[in-house]
Amino acid sequence: MTESTFFTAAFAIYFAAALFYLAFLFGKKPARAKAGFALAIAGLVIHTAALLLRTFQSGHAPFTNMYESMSFLAYASVLAFVIIEAKFKVPKVGAFLMLIVIGIMALASSPLMPKEATPLVPALQSYWLWLHVSVTLLGEAFFAVAFITSLMYLQAKDPEKRDRMDSVSYRCVSIGFPLFTLGGLVFGMVWAEKAWGTYWSWDPKEVWSLITWFVFALYLHTRIVMGWKGKRSAIIVILGFLAALFTFFGVNYLLSGLHSYA
Amino acid sequence: MKAILRFFTSVRVAIILLIILALASILGTLIPQGRTLEEYTARYGGLSTLFIRLQLTELYHSVWYLGLLGLFALNIAVCTLDRLGPKLRRTFHPKIENDPKALAGMKIKDKIRLNDRPEVVKTKTEAALRSARYRIRSTADSEGRIHLLGRRRMDGLFGSDIVHLGLLVIIAGGIVTAFGGFRTNLNLNPGDVRDVPKAGFAVRLDKFEIEKYPDGSVKDWKSTLTVLENGVPTRTQIVEVNHPLVHRGFSFYQTAYGFNWDAPSLEIRVLMKSDPAFVKIFQTPLNRKEALGDKEKTEILVTRFIPDFVLGDNNQPETRSLEPNNPAALVEGWRGGEKVFDGWVFAAYPDFTQMHGGAASDLKIELRNFDAAQYSVLETAKDPGVSLIWLGCLLIMAGLFLAFYRPTWEIRVTIENVSGKTELAAGGLATKSRDLFEAEFAGLTARLRRIP
Repeated sequence: MTESTFFTAAFAIYFAAALFYLAFLFGKKPARAKAGFALAIAGLVIHTAALLLRTFQSGHAPFTNMYESMSFLAYASVLAFVIIEAKFKVPKVGAFLMLIVIGIMALASSPLMPKEATPLVPALQSYWLWLHVSVTLLGEAFFAVAFITSLMYLQAKDPEKRDRMDSVSYRCVSIGFPLFTLGGLVFGMVWAEKAWGTYWSWDPKEVWSLITWFVFALYLHTRIVMGWKGKRSAIIVILGFLAALFTFFGVNYLLSGLHSYA
Repeated sequence: MKAILRFFTSVRVAIILLIILALASILGTLIPQGRTLEEYTARYGGLSTLFIRLQLTELYHSVWYLGLLGLFALNIAVCTLDRLGPKLRRTFHPKIENDPKALAGMKIKDKIRLNDRPEVVKTKTEAALRSARYRIRSTADSEGRIHLLGRRRMDGLFGSDIVHLGLLVIIAGGIVTAFGGFRTNLNLNPGDVRDVPKAGFAVRLDKFEIEKYPDGSVKDWKSTLTVLENGVPTRTQIVEVNHPLVHRGFSFYQTAYGFNWDAPSLEIRVLMKSDPAFVKIFQTPLNRKEALGDKEKTEILVTRFIPDFVLGDNNQPETRSLEPNNPAALVEGWRGGEKVFDGWVFAAYPDFTQMHGGAASDLKIELRNFDAAQYSVLETAKDPGVSLIWLGCLLIMAGLFLAFYRPTWEIRVTIENVSGKTELAAGGLATKSRDLFEAEFAGLTARLRRIP
C-alpha cells in the first residue's frame, strides 16, 4: 500500500462525508449528520496513515511542496472541524467545510501539483519545519471553520441560529489566533533567525502573515472593546481568512521572495 | 500634550491605525522592494520617480511607515496604561459593597428568598462559591446587609495588557536591532584567518564541503570554523544552514558559497593545424608560462579567466555572474620575451576563438576544463535586539493564553433581612465565555435555593 492509495482513500471518504452532510442540510435527519461525522473521522484516520507513510518514505516532514502542504491543509481543516463539531455541535458547518476540503484535495491531486518527494534544500532541514508549518496550518484551519460559520451567519435568518454562528466564529478565532501567532509568527521568527540570520526580513510571506494577524487583531478589538458583533464581525473574519488564504497560495504564485519552497 | 494623549487612548484610533498599517503593508508586497531605478522605470515608467520619492520602493524602512509604527506603539502604550489603573484597582482594591440598583441591572442575576438567618446563608453561600473555586471577599454595611464578592481567574483580566507589553517589547527589539545591530559577510577560502569586525576575535575556515544528493542538488554546505582568541584556537564547530555558530554574542551563518575564479585551475589543449600529430595539454594556473615544445619555442600563458563572459558597456569583457555559464580564458603567446599573439578562448565555443597576431595562425587553442577552489560565505551578525524579540514573543503567547483561556468571572451577592425572611440577590459578570458562566451561575443559584 502506497501513500497515494491512502490519500485517494481519504479523498473518497471525505467525499462520502460531504455527501452525507449535504443530505443532512436538505433533509435535517440527525442520522445523516452522525454518519457524516463518523466518515470525517474515518477519513482523518486514513489521511493520518497517508501522511505518516509520506514522512517515512521521503524522510522529512510532509509539507515541503504544494501537494504536501495542501494535503496537510485539508487534513488540518478536517481536524479543526471535528474538534469544533465535537465541542459545539454545528453539523451544518460540516457540509460546507467538507466541500472546501474536497476542493483542496482535488487541487492537491491535480496534475498541476508535482507529487514527487524531492530532497530537502538545506534551509528546510530543521525540526522547525515541523513546528512552523503544522501549527500555522492548524491555526489557518480554525480560521477556515470561522470563515464558514461567518458566511452561515450572513445568510441565516433565524436570530437564535445567527447568535450561535457568531459565537462559534469567535470560538474558532480564539483557538486559531493563538495557534497562528505561535506557529506563523513566533516559530517563523525563531526559524528565520536560525536559518537566515535575521528574525524578520519583510519577505512578502512574512508581511502577509502580519496583515492576516492585523485583520484578526481588528476583529478582536472591535468585538471585545467596541462591542461589534454579528454582521460586521462576520465580514472581518471573512477578510481575515481571505488574507490567510492569500498568505498560503497567493504569495507563492503571485509574489516572489524568500519563502519560495512550496 | 494631555489632549494628544487622550486622543491616543481611543480604541478607534488603534483600529484606524491597524487598517492603515495593513493597507500600507499590502502596498509594499505589490511593489517589489529594493530594486534598481532601471527596473522600476521598466515596470512603472514615469511613475517610478514618484514611487521612489514617496519611499514606496523601500516602504518598510520609509520614514512614514516607521512613523505609523511609532504612532501604533504610542497608541498601544497609552491605551494599555489608561486601562491598567482601573483593572489593578478592580483586582486589588475592589468595591465589595453592592449597590442594589447596579446588582439589579446586571445581565446575569437572580433573587432568592430563604428561611435561614442571614449569617447562615452567608456561610453556605461562601461554601458554594468556594467549592466552585471563587475567591471571596465580604463586608457588612451600616444597615446590616452582608455583601459578598466572589471572583475567579483574575489573571485573565491582564492577558491583553501582557500581549500589548509583548508587542512594545518586540518593537523595542526592532529598534535595538536597527541601531545596535551589526552584520557583514565574510568570504573565506579554506585556511583563511579573518578578524571578525568589532568582535575582538578571529575565525579560521578549516574546511568547506558541499554535500550533494544523488540527483546533483545541494544537500548541505558545511564550513568547519575555528574561533581564535588572541590567536589561540578556542572552539571548532561545523556551521551549516540552520546550525549557526554563536560566540560571544556574534552569530555565524552559512549563507552562500562561491568559486574563487581569481585563482582558477585550467586545462588548455593546443593543436597544430599543419601537424595533426601535435597535441599539447597542460594544467595551469594564471600567469604561468608553459613551453609549447614547438620549433619556434612558443610559450603560452593565461592572464585572465572569466566564468560568465559577456561584453560590457565599453565593449570590455566582464563577467555576468559568478556561475561558470560561459567560461573564457585570455591566452597569450610569447616568443623570445615578446608577446606575439593573444585572444579569448571559450570553453563552450571552441571554434569561436580568434587570436590576434599572425604567429598563432597555425595553432588551435582550446579551454578544455576549468576549476577553482570554493569559498564559503558566512554572515556574521551581532544583534542585541534578538533577546528582546524572544521576550516579546513569550509575553504575547502568555498574554494570549490568559486572554482567551482564563476568562475572569465575578459574582456579587447581597444578603439582607427583609420582613423576617432572608433575601439573597446575586449578579454575575464574565469578561469572556458568557455561556459557560451563565451555566455555572445557574448551577450555583440552584444550589443556594436548596438552603432551607
